[in-house]
Amino acid sequence: MNLLVLMIALPLLTAFLLSSINRISTLAARWIGPLVLLATAVIGLSVWPQLGAAPLALQWGGFQAPLGITLYADQFALLFALAMTIGTLLLWPRSAENQLRSSSLALLLAGTGSGLALSGDLFNIYVFYELMTVVSYGLIAGRGTSGSFASTLRYLVISGFGAALALAGIALVYQATGTLNLAQLAQLAPEKLNNLQGFAAFVLMLIGFGVKAELFPVNMWVPEVYATASSRVSALLAGVVSKLALLIIMRLLILVFHQPEALTVLLVLGILGVASGELAAWRARDLNRMLAFSSIGQLGVMFIALSIPGNAGIFAALAVMVHHLFLKPSMFLLAERWGGSIEKLAGAARTSPIAAALFVLLALSLIGVPPLPGFWAKLLVIMPMLALDQPLYYLAVFVMLAAASLEANYLFRVVMKLYDKQPAATSHKVHATADLATALFLGGGLIAAVFMLVPLADRLDSIAAQATDVSTYIQTVAPQQLQSGRVQ
Amino acid sequence: MDILDINIILYSAAFGLMLIGIGGIVISNHLIRIIFGIALLEAGANLLLLLSTYHEGASAPIIVDGSVPAMMADPVPQALVLTAIVIGVGILALALSLAIRVQRAYGTLDMREVRLKLEQEISENAGIEMPSSSHAPAVTTANSAAAQQESGS
Repeated sequence: MNLLVLMIALPLLTAFLLSSINRISTLAARWIGPLVLLATAVIGLSVWPQLGAAPLALQWGGFQAPLGITLYADQFALLFALAMTIGTLLLWPRSAENQLRSSSLALLLAGTGSGLALSGDLFNIYVFYELMTVVSYGLIAGRGTSGSFASTLRYLVISGFGAALALAGIALVYQATGTLNLAQLAQLAPEKLNNLQGFAAFVLMLIGFGVKAELFPVNMWVPEVYATASSRVSALLAGVVSKLALLIIMRLLILVFHQPEALTVLLVLGILGVASGELAAWRARDLNRMLAFSSIGQLGVMFIALSIPGNAGIFAALAVMVHHLFLKPSMFLLAERWGGSIEKLAGAARTSPIAAALFVLLALSLIGVPPLPGFWAKLLVIMPMLALDQPLYYLAVFVMLAAASLEANYLFRVVMKLYDKQPAATSHKVHATADLATALFLGGGLIAAVFMLVPLADRLDSIAAQATDVSTYIQTVAPQQLQSGRVQ
Repeated sequence: MDILDINIILYSAAFGLMLIGIGGIVISNHLIRIIFGIALLEAGANLLLLLSTYHEGASAPIIVDGSVPAMMADPVPQALVLTAIVIGVGILALALSLAIRVQRAYGTLDMREVRLKLEQEISENAGIEMPSSSHAPAVTTANSAAAQQESGS
C-alpha cells in the first residue's frame, strides 16, 4: 500500500526538480518525465490485483483517522488514478517551445489527479482539486496566444466561483458533523446530514466540482477552452480530468448524500446537459467546438446514469465513463490537424485514409451502433431507467435517444465531408505519426472491448460493487470514535 | 441571548459576503470587478468555514501550566481556512496577471467585449465567418478606435 503514495509523490517531486535537472542535462530533463510516469503506472498496476480482494487505507504519517489524513484505494479509485497517469503519458505535451514548462505542468497534473482519486478526506479532495485546476490553467494558457489567455481567464472566473461554493459546502458539512473524513462522514451522514443543510451542502459541492465535470449550468468555458488549447490538452481535460471530478461526485453520493432529492437534481441537470450540449454540437461549424459540445452531452449522460438509485446507476456510469475515456482523447487527437471549419475537410479521406476510417469507427461508437462498446454503455443506462417506471426517467430516455439521432446527424455530416469526391481548394495536413498512433491505440482498445464484452462487464460490475460497499469503506479506514465536533 | 446575537451577525456576514461576491461575478462586466467578486466570495466561504465550530469565549487549544481551559476552540477549521486563503491568494494573483495579458491582447477589460473578441478569434482561426449579429460590428469598430487611441496616447 505504501507504494501507492509514490503515485502522487513521484510526479510531484519530479515536476519541481525538472528545471534543476534541465541545468545539468537537457536530454535527461526531456526523458525523465515520461519515465517517471511509466514507473508510476507500473506501481499502480502492480497493486491492482491485490485490491480485488480488499481495498486498502493508508493514514499519512501514522495519525489514525479521523485526525490524520486518509488515502483510500479501491479498484475504482485506482482505475482513475491509472487513467490519469497513463493518459498523461499518452498525451504528453509535445511543443517545441516551453517544453520544460509544459512537462512540469503535465507531471503536476498526473500527481494531483492521482491524489484526487485516492483521497479519503473531503478537505484533501478540495486541495487536490484546486491544484489540478491551477495546473490546467497553466496548460491551457501555455499556448501563449491571446485567445488562450482570454479563455483561461473566463475559465478561471467560473472555476473560482465553483471552488468557493464547494468550500462553502464543505463548511456546511463540517458544521453538521465535525469531521471531513469520508469514512466517518459515512457513519454520521444518515443521522446528521439527512436534512436541508445536507442537501444544500450537496448542491453547493455538486456545482463546485461540476465545473470540471462540465455540469450543465457551469460549462460555458468548455467550447472556448477546447477551441483555444492545444489538442493534447483538450484531450486530457475532456477525457480524463472531467472523469476525476465525476469520481468525486460519485464518492460523495455513495458515502455521504443519500437524499432522493439529490438524485432528482442530478437527473434534471443531466437531461439539460444532454439536450443543450447535443443541440449546440449540431449547430457547430468547426470540429473542435463540435467535439467540445458533444462532450458536454456525454457528460450529461453520465450524470443521468448517476441519478439511477443503487448499484445499477454506478455500474452504468462507470461503463459510460470508461467508454468516453478511450473515445474522446482519440477524437481530439484527430482534430489536431483537422481543426477548423468542417467545410475545409472535404476529401481529407484521400490524403489520410487511416485517420478517416478511425473517425468513422469512433463516430459509430459515440452514436451507439451495436456491437460497438458505446451501444452497450448506453444500453446499461437506459435499461434500468425503463425499469424504474417514472415520468422523469422516461423523459431522460427520450432525450438520450433524440440526442443519439442528433449525434448521428452531425457526425455523419463530418464523415460525408471527409469522403467528399471534390477535395477542398486547400491541401490537407497529414497527422503527425505520434498523434495518429496514440489515436489508433485508443481506438484499438474500443475494438478489443467488443471481443471481451462479457469479462469486461463482469470486471466493471465488480469494481462498481466494491465502490458502493459503504460498510467495507468504513471498516477499512476504521475511524476511531472521537468526541466529534466541538471540544468543550 | 448574547451568543445567539453574535452568531446571527457572524453568519449573516458570511452569507452576505458570499452574496455580494456572487452578485459581483454575475452582474458586473468589468474584469477587475469580477475578480474582486471572486475574492469576496472566497472570503465569505472562508468565514463560513471558520464559523462552523465557533464558540464565543473559547480559548486556543493550548494547555499552559497543566490547567485545561473551560472551553477550547476547534483548531481544524482554522488550519483549513489558512490553506484555503493561501490557495485563494495564488488564484487571485494568477487571475490578475491573466487580466493584464488579456488587456494587452484585446485592449479591453470589458467581459462582453473580451467574449466577443475571443469568439471572433476562434472563428477566424477555424476559417468560418462570424454569424452576423446586429451590434457586433459596431462594438468592434468602437473597440479598435479605442485601442488605437490608447496606443496613440
